[in-house]
Amino acid sequence: MTNSPNNSTNATDAPPSVGFWGEAWQRFRRRKLAMIALWFVVLLCFTALFAPMIVGTKPIVCKYKGNLYFPCLGYYKNSWENPVFRKDRFRNRYTINLKKKDPESWAVWPLVYQDPYRRVRKGEWKDRQGNPSGTNGAPNRINLFGTNQQGFDVFAQMVHGTQIALSVGFVSMGIAGVIGITIGALAGYLGGWVDTLLSRFIELVMCIPALVLILALVAMLDNVNNFHLMAIVGCTSWTGIARLARAEFMKLKQMEFITAARALGASRWRIMFRYVLRNALAPVLVPITFGIAAAILIESGLSYLGFGASPPNPSWGTLLKSGRSTIQQTWWLIVFPGTAIFLTVLAYNLIGEGLQEATDPRLRQDSH
Amino acid sequence: MNAQCWQNGFHRRIAIALLILPLAVGCSSESSDPPANPTGGDSEADAESPAKPSGPVVLGNLLEPFDPPPLEKLLAGHKWIDRPVVDSMQRMRQFQAELPPPKLSAKEALALRNDSPENNELLLDTLGRLAPESGDGVDYEAKITLMADADLKSTNPLLTSSVVESDYHGLTVFGLFGFDKDFEKFASSGSVASWQTSEDRMIDKIVLRDDLTWSDGMPITAHDVAFTFRAIMTDEVIVPALRQGTDKIRWAEAYDDQTVVFFHKQALSTNDSNLNFYIIPKHKYEHTIPDDPSLARSEAHSRLEDDPVVGGAYTLTKRNRGQEFVLERRESYYMHNGRQVRDKPYFKTVRFKVIEDLNTALLALKAGDLQSMTLNAEQWNGQTDDNDFYRHNTKGSGMEWTSFHFCWNLKAPYFEDKRVRQAMSYAMDYQELLDTILYGIYSPCRGNFHETSKMFPQDGNEPYQQDFDKAEKLLDEAGWADSDGDGIRDKTIDGRLVPFEFTMLVVNFEDRVKTATLMKECLESIGITCHVKPTEFTVLMQVMRDRKFQAAFAGWGTGADPDTNTNIWGTNAGRNYGSYSNPHVDALFEQARHEFDEEKRNAIYGEIHSALWEDQPYTWLFWRNSFYGFNKRLRGYNFSPRGPFHYGPGFDSFYMPVDVP
Repeated sequence: MTNSPNNSTNATDAPPSVGFWGEAWQRFRRRKLAMIALWFVVLLCFTALFAPMIVGTKPIVCKYKGNLYFPCLGYYKNSWENPVFRKDRFRNRYTINLKKKDPESWAVWPLVYQDPYRRVRKGEWKDRQGNPSGTNGAPNRINLFGTNQQGFDVFAQMVHGTQIALSVGFVSMGIAGVIGITIGALAGYLGGWVDTLLSRFIELVMCIPALVLILALVAMLDNVNNFHLMAIVGCTSWTGIARLARAEFMKLKQMEFITAARALGASRWRIMFRYVLRNALAPVLVPITFGIAAAILIESGLSYLGFGASPPNPSWGTLLKSGRSTIQQTWWLIVFPGTAIFLTVLAYNLIGEGLQEATDPRLRQDSH
Repeated sequence: MNAQCWQNGFHRRIAIALLILPLAVGCSSESSDPPANPTGGDSEADAESPAKPSGPVVLGNLLEPFDPPPLEKLLAGHKWIDRPVVDSMQRMRQFQAELPPPKLSAKEALALRNDSPENNELLLDTLGRLAPESGDGVDYEAKITLMADADLKSTNPLLTSSVVESDYHGLTVFGLFGFDKDFEKFASSGSVASWQTSEDRMIDKIVLRDDLTWSDGMPITAHDVAFTFRAIMTDEVIVPALRQGTDKIRWAEAYDDQTVVFFHKQALSTNDSNLNFYIIPKHKYEHTIPDDPSLARSEAHSRLEDDPVVGGAYTLTKRNRGQEFVLERRESYYMHNGRQVRDKPYFKTVRFKVIEDLNTALLALKAGDLQSMTLNAEQWNGQTDDNDFYRHNTKGSGMEWTSFHFCWNLKAPYFEDKRVRQAMSYAMDYQELLDTILYGIYSPCRGNFHETSKMFPQDGNEPYQQDFDKAEKLLDEAGWADSDGDGIRDKTIDGRLVPFEFTMLVVNFEDRVKTATLMKECLESIGITCHVKPTEFTVLMQVMRDRKFQAAFAGWGTGADPDTNTNIWGTNAGRNYGSYSNPHVDALFEQARHEFDEEKRNAIYGEIHSALWEDQPYTWLFWRNSFYGFNKRLRGYNFSPRGPFHYGPGFDSFYMPVDVP
């Protein structure tokens, strides 16, 4: 290139290249459905992140006996709720006890006063009646999505359940991605006996049924939480990613720019993770996106069967499960969580598909 | 009808086993008609040598040597009292004869909606009437399909452990005793000719009828009874439930084919119940048990498992594991030498479909594929009120002495102290439980004995009410305060700060998980962390048996005799999963066992009830009543404190009339 002055001037005149990822993003943006899906997922992320502020029975912020507290943090982690409220025997009834124990206190409440973990009882919030139980909890102004048989608010459970659905997808595929890419990279790049060994290992892991492993784990652990499920799903679903990564690495290591890098004396790790990986990432991202959708389905399925995280676990699958026994009367227990699972899985699949078409050069030519 | 169906054998408490069994589909096995297997059936009716050691296992090796006196000497040496030999059907008939005639005709009763206690009573009063003694109008060709909530694990009566098995054995097994809906015990006139007890209550003499036949054509004799007793009292033979009671018997001796005599170790008021166990055929098991005391491994035993030799009214004809088992009426049960000697059982075929899911079962009931099933609160209240249900069915409910509780393991550091357990009971929100989770149709539990039973003390305790202040006060007194200020109560035990954090096990059923979760919510309010762990039923049972749990949500059905509670409350007793121990209670149980005056005995049990209530080894929650759906063709069902099936006559009195109104 440097030998030809003409070419070099042309290159400087042309607008700077947006690069592979920039180009892919431009292409992705043109796909309407994929973009809607992406926005949907972003919305879900916000919902998940701010769930306790959207719906809950603990104040977002309150002034109590001269100090500022953020009791709603207790929804993220029990111990983040200041122990002073427990010591002062609040018993999770902030609306009543704040004023009773300190008339000077004030509080900012979540948008909707409902709780995913218990039934809101009579007299908790001004003159409001307690949540209806049994099959009487059809959606209304107070219980936007109705209540389950026990009187738990469905909307509250759905909002807090978003956290589970999203984190299960992200964390498990994060784990799977790290393991898959590392093993795939090593196998593909190093080749030889390492490849043989790792490939056999991949095949071995493929034979382990994730579901059975999860059931065994649930039987062993006393307090199963969603991170256990994420870890298992992550540790068993990386095989597809590893195989793709291996193939990509095998292909890319033959390329000239790698030879050039090697000639320049770049270390093996630098080549692998700086030069090859960047170029191999696009095809690997696609199964990860699909994997997120699959992980959400697995979690919902497990909760539906009653093998999910320890109760009370406001996951969408749990809601579906409770709707099953009274399916003819409580449509809202099926429709809302069912729709949420469907839309989320669909969104991830659309994103995955969009990503695939935006990054695969062959498909790119087809689409033009 | 003389059939000793259902009520036999199981005086003992049975764990409430409404379980799910997820992956229990195995190979299917079918068995043809029973008498097809003559091999090994040559019975030596040799009286004196009941199974002498023929293998490594000595039958009856848990028994101390005993030399029974000759029969003549025995008869002459004691004063004998005649004991009741009763036909449970007759007894029910007498009871119903004293009632005023039903207010409604069957047609009117079936048109009635069971939506109030009054209608429930009217309906059951009409439809619960027994068929005429002559059997006129009974459809003897009728087939009935019932629901089994789990697979039949074993057809061997000695291995019985769950409700499904006791349902199966209720119809197929041969036994000597029964009890009516008031738990009055008697010898079944279908099996026993006479029953006498010596005046000192140390000996029971039973004369069997001479027209009894096993399903393979061999006669049922006193030797079978004595042999079964020996088999149960063999160390190597693992009998999950049957040895309780029989271990109080010193010896069983068959003097001839009809006469069997039981020698007791002590004169106890529970001796009658101790005699009640399932009988197995000696000619089949005599040689197989010493070779295979597990009763399940050897080839001979697996043959018997698939093609069991039974002594009851029905016999197994088909068994698809995980799907269904089918029983047929056994002609050799009610016919003897061409003559009818017992009432003909009302059904030709009884089919048990294994349906683990109650929703599926309800659909089957609505479609007419099931003739009867138990309904849960949700189904009773909302899913069985429409025409869809009443097209083929009606429903009925009755009080049942089945209670549910949180069992605290006293060996866990948290629940050693009585005050902590009382605090637990104060923490629970009973109102919320009864009203929302249980749809307001169950009643609060007031302790070990049901308040309508004779054992419940006069002016007995009232149920606990939620009171957080009392709970917190008790916890503080017991030393469980929040010393490190993290909001969770803790206590220094052996120099280590232990936070109050425990796991509650619960069967993987929705209403039970909800109940435990409600407790979790309540405990959280007073600074205690409780993890709820839904578990598969068999796993839960195993963990509880091993005492490797901290707390569990469980339930008990009632035994026919209050003494069965010893097994739950006695120090180191088999089902004392919470390791409760109170010498006073132990002594009272022992005292009650030696008390023959009914009233005084009940008073002692009342005292036990109060002592248990004070100690709160359980947090008693609620009594689960019986709720059943019945096909409109069914008649003759009545409710006992053990439900409509498990007493005498129980299922025996179910029938279908020839013409349906």
